[in-house]
Amino acid sequence: MPAAAPRSGDAIFASVEHVNAELFTLTYGAIVRQLLTDLEEVDEVNKQLDQMGYNIGIRLIDEFLAKANVSRCVDFKETAETIAKVGFKMFLGVTASVTNWDADGTCCSIVLEDNPLVDFVELPDTCQGLYYCNVLSGVIRGALEMVSMKTEITWTRDVLRGDDAYELQVKLLKLVPEEYPYKDDE
Amino acid sequence: MIVCVAVVGHQNNPLYIQSFTEADDALKLHHVVHCSLDVVDERVNNPKKSGPMLNETYLGLLYPTENYKVYGYLTNTKVKFILVTTDLDVKDADVRNFFRRFHAAYVDAVSNPFHVPGKKITSRTFAERVSTIVKAFGLSSAG
Repeated sequence: MPAAAPRSGDAIFASVEHVNAELFTLTYGAIVRQLLTDLEEVDEVNKQLDQMGYNIGIRLIDEFLAKANVSRCVDFKETAETIAKVGFKMFLGVTASVTNWDADGTCCSIVLEDNPLVDFVELPDTCQGLYYCNVLSGVIRGALEMVSMKTEITWTRDVLRGDDAYELQVKLLKLVPEEYPYKDDE
Repeated sequence: MIVCVAVVGHQNNPLYIQSFTEADDALKLHHVVHCSLDVVDERVNNPKKSGPMLNETYLGLLYPTENYKVYGYLTNTKVKFILVTTDLDVKDADVRNFFRRFHAAYVDAVSNPFHVPGKKITSRTFAERVSTIVKAFGLSSAG
Protein backbone atom coordinates (compact mmCIF):
# COMPACT_ATOMS: atom_id res chain seq x y z
CA MET A 1 0.00 0.00 0.00
CA PRO A 2 1.56 3.33 -0.97
CA ALA A 3 2.68 5.56 1.87
CA ALA A 4 0.56 8.65 2.48
CA ALA A 5 2.03 11.97 1.43
CA PRO A 6 3.95 13.71 4.23
CA ARG A 7 1.65 15.98 6.18
CA SER A 8 2.67 19.53 6.70
CA GLY A 9 3.47 20.75 10.16
CA ASP A 10 0.39 22.98 10.22
CA ALA A 11 -1.93 20.10 9.45
CA ILE A 12 -0.53 17.93 12.20
CA PHE A 13 -0.49 20.79 14.68
CA ALA A 14 -4.15 21.39 14.00
CA SER A 15 -5.04 17.75 14.51
CA VAL A 16 -3.35 17.06 17.84
CA GLU A 17 -4.73 18.02 21.24
CA HIS A 18 -3.69 21.41 22.49
CA VAL A 19 -2.81 22.63 25.94
CA ASN A 20 -3.02 26.19 27.20
CA ALA A 21 0.18 27.97 26.23
CA GLU A 22 0.47 29.87 29.50
CA LEU A 23 0.14 26.65 31.49
CA PHE A 24 2.96 25.16 29.44
CA THR A 25 5.16 28.23 29.88
CA LEU A 26 4.51 28.49 33.61
CA THR A 27 5.14 24.75 34.11
CA TYR A 28 8.47 24.95 32.32
CA GLY A 29 9.37 28.04 34.35
CA ALA A 30 8.57 26.18 37.55
CA ILE A 31 10.81 23.26 36.47
CA VAL A 32 13.75 25.59 35.81
CA ARG A 33 13.22 27.42 39.09
CA GLN A 34 13.11 24.19 41.04
CA LEU A 35 16.27 22.91 39.35
CA LEU A 36 18.03 26.12 40.28
CA THR A 37 16.92 25.78 43.88
CA ASP A 38 17.99 22.13 44.06
CA LEU A 39 21.27 22.26 42.18
CA GLU A 40 22.32 25.87 42.80
CA GLU A 41 25.03 25.76 40.10
CA VAL A 42 24.04 27.24 36.75
CA ASP A 43 26.24 24.77 34.83
CA GLU A 44 24.64 21.82 36.60
CA VAL A 45 21.21 23.13 35.72
CA ASN A 46 22.23 23.48 32.08
CA LYS A 47 23.41 19.87 32.07
CA GLN A 48 20.22 18.63 33.73
CA LEU A 49 18.02 20.51 31.27
CA ASP A 50 19.99 18.95 28.42
CA GLN A 51 19.61 15.50 29.95
CA MET A 52 15.88 16.01 30.44
CA GLY A 53 15.62 17.10 26.83
CA TYR A 54 17.57 14.04 25.73
CA ASN A 55 15.15 11.74 27.56
CA ILE A 56 12.22 13.53 25.97
CA GLY A 57 13.82 13.41 22.53
CA ILE A 58 14.45 9.68 22.44
CA ARG A 59 10.74 9.13 23.04
CA LEU A 60 9.45 12.02 20.99
CA ILE A 61 11.05 10.79 17.79
CA ASP A 62 8.66 7.82 17.62
CA GLU A 63 5.63 10.02 17.95
CA PHE A 64 7.02 12.39 15.37
CA LEU A 65 7.66 9.65 12.83
CA ALA A 66 4.25 8.12 13.45
CA LYS A 67 2.31 11.33 12.98
CA ALA A 68 4.34 13.13 10.38
CA ASN A 69 4.59 10.41 7.76
CA VAL A 70 7.80 11.79 6.34
CA SER A 71 9.86 9.57 4.13
CA ARG A 72 13.45 8.76 4.98
CA CYS A 73 15.57 11.88 4.69
CA VAL A 74 18.16 11.68 1.96
CA ASP A 75 20.79 13.81 3.62
CA PHE A 76 21.39 15.93 6.68
CA LYS A 77 20.07 19.03 4.94
CA GLU A 78 16.68 17.44 4.55
CA THR A 79 16.80 16.30 8.18
CA ALA A 80 17.42 19.80 9.41
CA GLU A 81 14.64 21.22 7.26
CA THR A 82 12.22 18.57 8.55
CA ILE A 83 13.10 19.35 12.15
CA ALA A 84 12.64 23.06 11.63
CA LYS A 85 9.51 23.07 9.54
CA VAL A 86 7.60 19.99 10.69
CA GLY A 87 9.00 19.11 14.09
CA PHE A 88 9.00 22.50 15.74
CA LYS A 89 5.66 23.37 14.22
CA MET A 90 4.08 20.15 15.39
CA PHE A 91 5.25 20.25 18.97
CA LEU A 92 5.71 23.91 19.81
CA GLY A 93 3.54 25.61 17.23
CA VAL A 94 6.37 27.81 15.98
CA THR A 95 8.16 27.66 12.65
CA ALA A 96 11.91 27.72 12.63
CA SER A 97 14.23 28.39 9.73
CA VAL A 98 17.50 26.77 8.77
CA THR A 99 20.47 28.91 7.81
CA ASN A 100 24.26 28.99 7.78
CA TRP A 101 25.09 25.76 6.09
CA ASP A 102 28.78 25.02 6.03
CA ALA A 103 30.64 23.63 3.03
CA ASP A 104 30.27 19.97 4.02
CA GLY A 105 26.60 20.17 4.74
CA THR A 106 27.14 18.81 8.24
CA CYS A 107 26.61 21.93 10.27
CA CYS A 108 23.73 24.38 10.21
CA SER A 109 21.83 26.84 12.36
CA ILE A 110 18.18 26.58 13.28
CA VAL A 111 16.72 29.99 14.05
CA LEU A 112 13.59 30.47 16.15
CA GLU A 113 11.96 33.85 16.02
CA ASP A 114 9.59 33.30 18.89
CA ASN A 115 9.63 30.68 21.56
CA PRO A 116 6.67 29.83 23.79
CA LEU A 117 8.94 28.56 26.59
CA VAL A 118 10.22 32.03 27.41
CA ASP A 119 7.11 34.19 27.60
CA PHE A 120 7.32 36.55 30.58
CA VAL A 121 10.81 35.36 31.51
CA GLU A 122 13.64 37.66 32.48
CA LEU A 123 16.88 36.19 33.74
CA PRO A 124 18.01 37.65 37.05
CA ASP A 125 21.60 38.78 37.45
CA THR A 126 22.50 35.71 39.49
CA CYS A 127 21.72 33.33 36.64
CA GLN A 128 23.43 34.93 33.72
CA GLY A 129 25.09 31.75 32.49
CA LEU A 130 21.83 29.85 32.29
CA TYR A 131 20.65 28.46 28.97
CA TYR A 132 16.97 28.65 29.79
CA CYS A 133 15.83 26.66 26.74
CA ASN A 134 18.52 24.03 26.97
CA VAL A 135 15.87 21.35 27.02
CA LEU A 136 15.32 22.02 23.30
CA SER A 137 18.91 21.19 22.44
CA GLY A 138 18.62 17.93 24.37
CA VAL A 139 15.41 17.02 22.56
CA ILE A 140 16.98 17.43 19.14
CA ARG A 141 20.11 15.55 20.16
CA GLY A 142 18.09 12.65 21.61
CA ALA A 143 15.74 12.43 18.66
CA LEU A 144 18.56 12.41 16.11
CA GLU A 145 20.50 9.82 18.07
CA MET A 146 17.56 7.45 17.77
CA VAL A 147 17.76 7.74 13.99
CA SER A 148 21.47 6.96 13.98
CA MET A 149 22.91 10.45 13.88
CA LYS A 150 25.28 11.64 16.55
CA THR A 151 25.08 15.40 16.82
CA GLU A 152 26.37 18.23 18.92
CA ILE A 153 24.04 21.13 19.61
CA THR A 154 24.97 24.49 21.04
CA TRP A 155 23.18 27.80 21.50
CA THR A 156 24.68 30.64 19.51
CA ARG A 157 22.04 33.30 20.11
CA ASP A 158 19.65 33.65 23.01
CA VAL A 159 17.09 36.44 23.45
CA LEU A 160 17.27 36.18 27.25
CA ARG A 161 20.95 37.12 27.00
CA GLY A 162 20.30 40.13 24.82
CA ASP A 163 20.31 38.78 21.24
CA ASP A 164 17.43 39.20 18.85
CA ALA A 165 16.47 35.58 18.18
CA TYR A 166 17.15 32.04 19.31
CA GLU A 167 19.74 30.22 17.27
CA LEU A 168 20.84 26.62 17.70
CA GLN A 169 23.90 25.34 15.96
CA VAL A 170 23.43 21.70 14.95
CA LYS A 171 26.58 19.83 14.02
CA LEU A 172 26.49 16.30 12.68
CA LEU A 173 29.36 14.35 14.20
CA LYS A 174 28.85 10.99 12.58
CA LEU A 175 26.28 8.62 11.20
CA VAL A 176 26.18 5.52 13.32
CA PRO A 177 25.43 2.43 11.22
CA GLU A 178 22.85 0.08 12.67
CA GLU A 179 24.36 -2.71 14.71
CA TYR A 180 22.84 -6.09 15.04
CA PRO A 181 22.91 -7.59 18.50
CA TYR A 182 24.04 -10.96 17.27
CA LYS A 183 26.84 -12.12 15.05
CA ASP A 184 25.94 -13.85 11.80
CA ASP A 185 28.48 -16.62 12.00
CA GLU A 186 27.62 -17.91 15.45
CA MET B 1 1.41 65.04 35.05
CA ILE B 2 1.88 61.76 36.77
CA VAL B 3 4.27 62.18 39.64
CA CYS B 4 4.51 58.68 40.99
CA VAL B 5 3.12 55.17 40.68
CA ALA B 6 3.38 52.50 43.33
CA VAL B 7 2.53 48.84 43.75
CA VAL B 8 1.86 47.73 47.30
CA GLY B 9 1.51 44.11 48.32
CA HIS B 10 -1.26 42.56 50.33
CA GLN B 11 0.65 43.02 53.58
CA ASN B 12 1.11 46.69 52.76
CA ASN B 13 4.73 46.04 51.80
CA PRO B 14 5.99 48.15 48.88
CA LEU B 15 6.71 46.12 45.74
CA TYR B 16 7.47 48.87 43.28
CA ILE B 17 7.70 52.66 43.61
CA GLN B 18 8.68 54.86 40.71
CA SER B 19 8.59 58.62 40.60
CA PHE B 20 8.57 60.53 37.35
CA THR B 21 9.67 64.00 38.34
CA GLU B 22 13.13 64.94 39.51
CA ALA B 23 12.03 67.89 41.56
CA ASP B 24 9.91 66.21 44.18
CA ASP B 25 11.37 64.48 47.12
CA ALA B 26 11.11 60.72 46.92
CA LEU B 27 10.51 60.54 50.66
CA LYS B 28 7.52 62.85 50.46
CA LEU B 29 6.03 60.68 47.76
CA HIS B 30 6.61 57.58 49.86
CA HIS B 31 4.71 59.34 52.63
CA VAL B 32 1.81 60.26 50.37
CA VAL B 33 1.57 56.67 49.12
CA HIS B 34 1.70 55.36 52.65
CA CYS B 35 -1.11 57.62 53.81
CA SER B 36 -3.23 56.59 50.89
CA LEU B 37 -3.00 52.97 52.05
CA ASP B 38 -5.06 53.90 55.09
CA VAL B 39 -7.76 55.32 52.86
CA VAL B 40 -7.73 52.12 50.80
CA ASP B 41 -8.19 50.00 53.90
CA GLU B 42 -11.03 52.20 55.04
CA ARG B 43 -12.78 51.91 51.67
CA VAL B 44 -12.33 48.16 51.67
CA ASN B 45 -13.62 47.62 55.18
CA ASN B 46 -16.60 49.97 54.99
CA PRO B 47 -18.15 49.54 51.57
CA LYS B 48 -20.65 52.25 50.78
CA LYS B 49 -24.18 50.99 51.03
CA SER B 50 -25.00 52.30 47.60
CA GLY B 51 -21.84 50.76 46.18
CA PRO B 52 -22.44 48.76 43.01
CA MET B 53 -20.46 45.56 43.59
CA LEU B 54 -18.35 44.23 46.41
CA ASN B 55 -15.49 43.26 44.14
CA GLU B 56 -14.99 46.65 42.53
CA THR B 57 -11.33 46.90 41.53
CA TYR B 58 -11.09 50.59 40.70
CA LEU B 59 -11.27 52.67 43.87
CA GLY B 60 -11.20 56.09 42.29
CA LEU B 61 -9.97 59.28 43.87
CA LEU B 62 -8.70 58.37 47.31
CA TYR B 63 -7.98 61.81 48.66
CA PRO B 64 -6.80 65.14 47.30
CA THR B 65 -3.89 66.84 49.09
CA GLU B 66 -2.72 70.38 48.47
CA ASN B 67 -0.90 69.60 45.22
CA TYR B 68 -1.73 66.03 44.34
CA LYS B 69 -4.59 63.73 43.59
CA VAL B 70 -4.20 60.12 44.58
CA TYR B 71 -6.04 57.32 42.78
CA GLY B 72 -6.24 53.73 43.90
CA TYR B 73 -6.90 50.34 42.35
CA LEU B 74 -7.25 47.09 44.21
CA THR B 75 -6.71 43.68 42.62
CA ASN B 76 -8.39 40.49 43.75
CA THR B 77 -5.17 39.37 45.44
CA LYS B 78 -5.24 42.51 47.62
CA VAL B 79 -2.37 44.08 45.70
CA LYS B 80 -2.87 47.83 45.47
CA PHE B 81 -1.80 50.17 42.70
CA ILE B 82 -1.46 53.82 43.72
CA LEU B 83 -1.27 56.68 41.23
CA VAL B 84 -0.22 60.18 42.29
CA THR B 85 -0.83 62.95 39.81
CA THR B 86 -0.68 66.73 39.76
CA ASP B 87 -3.24 67.15 36.98
CA LEU B 88 -6.21 69.23 37.99
CA ASP B 89 -8.71 67.83 35.57
CA VAL B 90 -8.29 64.13 35.03
CA LYS B 91 -10.96 62.13 33.31
CA ASP B 92 -12.11 59.07 35.18
CA ALA B 93 -12.00 57.00 32.00
CA ASP B 94 -8.34 57.87 31.48
CA VAL B 95 -7.40 56.73 34.95
CA ARG B 96 -9.35 53.50 34.56
CA ASN B 97 -7.58 52.88 31.27
CA PHE B 98 -4.24 53.58 32.90
CA PHE B 99 -4.89 51.10 35.67
CA ARG B 100 -6.06 48.46 33.23
CA ARG B 101 -2.80 48.64 31.27
CA PHE B 102 -0.78 48.84 34.47
CA HIS B 103 -2.51 45.70 35.73
CA ALA B 104 -1.63 43.88 32.50
CA ALA B 105 2.03 44.88 32.84
CA TYR B 106 2.00 43.80 36.49
CA VAL B 107 0.56 40.37 35.62
CA ASP B 108 3.27 39.81 33.00
CA ALA B 109 5.99 40.83 35.46
CA VAL B 110 4.68 38.49 38.13
CA SER B 111 4.47 35.57 35.66
CA ASN B 112 8.26 35.61 35.42
CA PRO B 113 9.37 32.35 37.08
CA PHE B 114 12.31 34.18 38.63
CA HIS B 115 10.09 36.68 40.42
CA VAL B 116 9.48 35.86 44.06
CA PRO B 117 5.97 36.87 45.11
CA GLY B 118 6.15 39.31 47.98
CA LYS B 119 9.57 40.62 46.98
CA LYS B 120 10.20 43.80 45.03
CA ILE B 121 9.63 43.74 41.30
CA THR B 122 13.05 44.02 39.65
CA SER B 123 12.02 43.43 36.07
CA ARG B 124 13.44 45.97 33.64
CA THR B 125 10.72 45.25 31.10
CA PHE B 126 8.11 46.13 33.70
CA ALA B 127 9.82 49.45 34.41
CA GLU B 128 9.95 50.27 30.71
CA ARG B 129 6.32 49.36 30.14
CA VAL B 130 5.27 51.46 33.11
CA SER B 131 7.18 54.45 31.68
CA THR B 132 5.45 53.96 28.34
CA ILE B 133 2.02 53.78 29.96
CA VAL B 134 2.76 56.90 32.03
CA LYS B 135 3.89 58.81 28.93
CA ALA B 136 0.79 57.72 27.03
CA PHE B 137 -1.38 58.88 29.90
CA GLY B 138 0.28 62.27 29.89
CA LEU B 139 -0.35 62.66 26.16
CA SER B 140 -3.93 61.48 26.22
CA SER B 141 -5.03 63.74 29.04
CA ALA B 142 -3.24 66.77 27.64
CA GLY B 143 -4.68 66.42 24.14
